[in-house]
Amino acid sequence: MNYIFFVVKAAIEDFRRNKTQTFLTSLGILIGVFAVVMLTALGLGLKQYINDQFAALGKSTLFVAPGKILSGGRFNTTSSLTSIKFDNRDLLRLKRLKEVKEISPIFSKQTTVKSERKSEDSTIFFASEAFFDINGFKIQKGRFFDKNDINKKAKVVVLGPKIAEKLFGTIEAAIDQKVTANSVNFTVIGITESRGGGGFGGPDYDSCMFSPYTTGFIFNPEKNYSRFAIKFDESYSVSQVKEAIKKEFLKRYDEDSFSIIEPGDILSAVNSIFGVLNIVLVAIASISLLVGGIGIMNIMFVTVSDKTKEIGVRRAIGARKKDILVQFIIESTILSIFGGFLGLFLAFIGTLVVRKFFPAYIDIQSVILALGVSSAIGMIFGVLPAKKAADLEPVEAIRYE
Amino acid sequence: MIKFRNVWKIYKLDGDVEYQALKGVNLEIKEGEFVSITGPSGSGKSTLMHLIGLLDKPTKGEIFINGKNVTYLTDDQLSTLRNEFVGFVFQQFNLIPKLTVLENILLPTIYARKKLKYDPKKKALDLIKKFGLGGKERSYPNKISGGQQQRVAILRALIMEPKLILADEPTGNLDSKTGVEIMNLLKALNEKEGITVVLVTHEPDIAAYGKRMIRIKDGKITKN
Repeated sequence: MNYIFFVVKAAIEDFRRNKTQTFLTSLGILIGVFAVVMLTALGLGLKQYINDQFAALGKSTLFVAPGKILSGGRFNTTSSLTSIKFDNRDLLRLKRLKEVKEISPIFSKQTTVKSERKSEDSTIFFASEAFFDINGFKIQKGRFFDKNDINKKAKVVVLGPKIAEKLFGTIEAAIDQKVTANSVNFTVIGITESRGGGGFGGPDYDSCMFSPYTTGFIFNPEKNYSRFAIKFDESYSVSQVKEAIKKEFLKRYDEDSFSIIEPGDILSAVNSIFGVLNIVLVAIASISLLVGGIGIMNIMFVTVSDKTKEIGVRRAIGARKKDILVQFIIESTILSIFGGFLGLFLAFIGTLVVRKFFPAYIDIQSVILALGVSSAIGMIFGVLPAKKAADLEPVEAIRYE
Repeated sequence: MIKFRNVWKIYKLDGDVEYQALKGVNLEIKEGEFVSITGPSGSGKSTLMHLIGLLDKPTKGEIFINGKNVTYLTDDQLSTLRNEFVGFVFQQFNLIPKLTVLENILLPTIYARKKLKYDPKKKALDLIKKFGLGGKERSYPNKISGGQQQRVAILRALIMEPKLILADEPTGNLDSKTGVEIMNLLKALNEKEGITVVLVTHEPDIAAYGKRMIRIKDGKITKN
């Protein structure tokens, strides 16, 4: 205990006297820990965001989409580009099923929309009134479109809050205004509440627009649908409903040309992708930790040379090889942990900054991991220089000038 | 207490060239003695001192301490012996710059393997007071004078209550007045505490403090 105190105190006093050198040496570890913790924080935030988005989807929801989207719990990479499209016949078949409570056909169009003052690129989702409920949307101002609007093929549109602000300046100003897409005039009847995030993979619903699917046939004369969103009767189990839909669709399509997806399936597939992505990113960031470790090793070799005389003195007054070894390993470990702490601190600040426009958070595991890894690096990369120090012959060391 | 039996120290230089630093030295130092080892530079007196201080091993011959052959001890055993048996005082003081006076004095105790019979901190503070360094406990070595530094070094040598103090040119970096003070201090330790002192020096008036003189030249003892 006393021994450790002496070693730590001497090391810290040393670092205090060589502040610049100490900082530069631990910079490598600092950057490495910063990168790893930051990337983990972003990964965690992203995962949290996606999970929240899926949590917004109500229970007893299913999606039917063309093509084989998932296979074995992962996104299918081989045959995702299937050419079939759903149509009104499919919609009617699904509507007839007793298990299906609500259904929305969905297709979307990317287009430029114009208000009187601005034009913006956006995506219009054409769907039925059930779409909002199934996807967990909430209205902020005005109203959603309803069955009546669907039947009348009303040229009305519900805007996401971001696109509303872009086109009209404020959300309040958007209501009852006109927007034009491909020369078709729509009246804004409502603004959704923000769902946050967006911009990575999934649709950023805040920047999208929603309109009755019947109205959308103007842009879609073949009346094709890219998917169906279904809310089913809760008295049936998911597998029962899936089975019923499957039976119906197999009459028309073969098994590989459509998918019935539970939100949970997509969630786990997305999570597994981000899991892998995160591991790859962290692995790349870890290279800088390695480089940092080499930097520490390098400076420790210099330190050992500088302290040859001191090593000789310590040996003369009774230090064993082991004592010298431990001394230098502790020194490099402190150096590395110092860098680790600074990196962690920076990552903490970085997370706070990034949070304003991207979900990110640091969990206790990454803190432990960062400090654990940096102390391990200090120890491992300190071994060789410390071994060199310990193996100095006492008489050679004490003679050294 | 210390006995050399036909001790040789041979350094291998480039290729097959050898340099014989000590050529069959026989020597005995008894407990309580004050011995000065003198000789010109290159005579082998440093080598002799390193061997007495157990910092080096002889190429041939044997060394006994208190009747025990220490020639073949392991590195760890020699370290322990250096820690408990010898106190070193160097020409350059060789204090650790980033440790305070008190910490420097305590340094040997952190390497102690045996249980100390006293509280090292209390003992160190007592010594500091007794040797006129009161108030300097928390000072760093570069903030005190050379004479004070050498006194700290002597206290560091004393903290483990050694049987032997090995002083290598202890006055070499001091002015003559301070040098005399340090020598009187060593003399007092020898006379009052009964600590054996081995002094290595090339200055005759410093060597004169010794009660016995060993002269060495070309690796051989010429006068004992």
